[in-house]
Amino acid sequence: MAIETRLPAESDLETIDINVNVGPQHPATHGVFRMILTVDGELVVDLDPVIGYMHRGNEKLPENCDFRQVIGYHDRTDYLAQFNTEHCYVEAVERLAGITPPERAEYIRVILAEMNRIASHLMFFGAFGTDIGLFGTSFMYAFRDRETIQDFFEEITGERMMYNYFRPGGVAWDLPENFHERCWQVLNSVERGIDQLDALMMENEVVLARCRGLSPVTPDDAINWGLSGPMLRATGLKHDLRRAEPYSIYDRFKFEIPTGTQGDVYDRLVVRMEEMRQSAWIVEQALDDMPDGPIMAEGLKRVLRVPAGEVYMRVESPRGEYGTYLVSQGSDKPWRHKVRGASFSNLSALRAMSVGNYISDVIIILGSIDIVLCEVDR
Amino acid sequence: MTQEAHGGAAVTPVAPIEPGPVVRLLQSVLPGVEFEIGQSPKDEVVTIPRDDFSRVMTAVRTDETLAFDYLRCLSGVDYLTYLETVYHLHSFKHHHSIAIKVKCPPDDAHVPTVSHLWHTANWHERELYELFGIMLDGHPDLRPLLTEEGLGYYIMRKSHPLADIEEWQEDYLKTIDEAKAQMAAATGVAAPIDEKALKIQMAQQKGAVMKKARDDARAQGLSPEDEKAAVQAAIKKFEEEFTAGQGPAPAAAPAKPVDERAAKIQLAQQKAALITKTRNEARAKGVSPEEERQIVAEALKKFSEEQEAAPAAAVPIPAATAPAAPAPMDRAAKIQLAQQKAALITKTREEARAKGLSPEEERKVVAEALKKFSEEQGG
Repeated sequence: MAIETRLPAESDLETIDINVNVGPQHPATHGVFRMILTVDGELVVDLDPVIGYMHRGNEKLPENCDFRQVIGYHDRTDYLAQFNTEHCYVEAVERLAGITPPERAEYIRVILAEMNRIASHLMFFGAFGTDIGLFGTSFMYAFRDRETIQDFFEEITGERMMYNYFRPGGVAWDLPENFHERCWQVLNSVERGIDQLDALMMENEVVLARCRGLSPVTPDDAINWGLSGPMLRATGLKHDLRRAEPYSIYDRFKFEIPTGTQGDVYDRLVVRMEEMRQSAWIVEQALDDMPDGPIMAEGLKRVLRVPAGEVYMRVESPRGEYGTYLVSQGSDKPWRHKVRGASFSNLSALRAMSVGNYISDVIIILGSIDIVLCEVDR
Repeated sequence: MTQEAHGGAAVTPVAPIEPGPVVRLLQSVLPGVEFEIGQSPKDEVVTIPRDDFSRVMTAVRTDETLAFDYLRCLSGVDYLTYLETVYHLHSFKHHHSIAIKVKCPPDDAHVPTVSHLWHTANWHERELYELFGIMLDGHPDLRPLLTEEGLGYYIMRKSHPLADIEEWQEDYLKTIDEAKAQMAAATGVAAPIDEKALKIQMAQQKGAVMKKARDDARAQGLSPEDEKAAVQAAIKKFEEEFTAGQGPAPAAAPAKPVDERAAKIQLAQQKAALITKTRNEARAKGVSPEEERQIVAEALKKFSEEQEAAPAAAVPIPAATAPAAPAPMDRAAKIQLAQQKAALITKTREEARAKGLSPEEERKVVAEALKKFSEEQGG
């Protein structure tokens, strides 16, 4: 019973595009994210991003919570930049309710948000290193310093990840006594770490070879696709919400807005690396100027009723423009609570950025967006 | 927990609001459009009629003096009587921002797409269609983005309840409790007193007492200190009563008839089966996702109509008598068995530890005790 095998004649063969599924459970997709790639050999001819695996009603649930309970849900959107997200929400409530937080609270918020930006970018460099094949090395360098910051945050808030520390009108409690000392200590060690990471990553042969010139984006495209944050600045646009529409007390600090030139993956790295130094600079200035005094606005009720109205508050999170559209109808709960995740819009441009590249490069492009799926899916 | 409970009051706009610079610019570029001016602490807000929507959006994108090239955010809002779509726009050229809003009635929810003007609107609009059920006319690809295919209902609408979910969880817990009670009635052995349930009940009652005391105090206009003292006194009194009477009537919770809930569960199961069946059939036919959703929705509607036409009779009610319903009996027995086992394990392990046995020996002792227990049960 020999099986008859016969090779088809060459004229019978046809070339077809095949579909390759990447994710949803794969470290290269940074969470539960799936891409359906249509490939012609190694070349990606189409890409269909599939999201929603983490959709858990993070906009619906807060509509049934009181204004202070919502803060916790913001920690759980962008879980790498919790202070930035909380900052956005509490500012939105304060603008609607007409609350002015005391000076000291503003300084605390800025210091923590900028430290959080550094931690988030460190996380990016760690994960990105594994994406391009520097497995382990960059990860260890970045996480050593991120861990220092996490410990520092834990000393202040009692939590490692979900801080829930900012409140409409101020912050939950005052800083520990040795805060200044500790903050300088952490900052110095982190700044040393950033220099080391810079030396490791930015001149690296692998990084240069794989990232330079990959998927360049023009400023016009970036604006049309709704990109924001480092993705937008890498194209050369000097747009930072901290400078363009100063919120909180950002108008008091000096800092540079790093930009790229071509909008390629390498420029995104350059921008992020420089942003960490700028954030450290802002923290230094804020530490010098921070006044003593109350940390919570006076005269707030136990049940916070926000007057009817609406506001779209946006802040510059490490990933870009993080916004909250808050509608109140005068009760103690938000009527509508929309979260505009920076990575949601950034990710929607993935197809346009990736088509025409090789599969291994698509992984790098995805990594360079720096997505947080909890913020994308909400 | 209903949605209507906390949002009923409608907002009444006061005096007409003066247009800001951006709105004045908008008015000069589009003279024929009626702009309803709103207010926000950050941006200028205008509401435009739906008929003018396409014209206005094209103008704000392409006009040189407006040049809104960046769509920051696109949100839907459900105001019960109407749905609203909000576009937050920014211009990198002139550095100004605006929020443009457009209303549509819930039974005729559709808005022209803007995804050809701003590419970023593509995903935002997909989300809007999926969560709010606002149709985007002319959108190239309205597949669901965040939820599983063919949800068939719009979860961000205020009419989609959150409370039902909690009710279902309560249902599940109550089913277990009632199965226990049934077993007790059938076997004549009283179900073991559930300490945890008792504690929960006490906490709930305590909460109610606290709330009442606080409300009373506030109604009397006491100072915060006096209010605190009054609440504490009330709690103390309650605790004394509770320990004295071993809980004021633990069985006070009104026992809902068994069959009603069982019927509810059965109904939901039938519904789920119907959805699966219809969806599979539709897929086998190879219809598009929109059609598929429509088919499922129709089938569901038909089903509910049938249910309403023949209430109760359509749903086979399980017999109210306990012995006739063996399934919950089994489960309750199983639960009890597992609880006994767990108690045995804990007890044996603690004894073994008290004796100072090594972890290996301890494990052995526990295994033996368990074996003995199962033999007893089997015998």
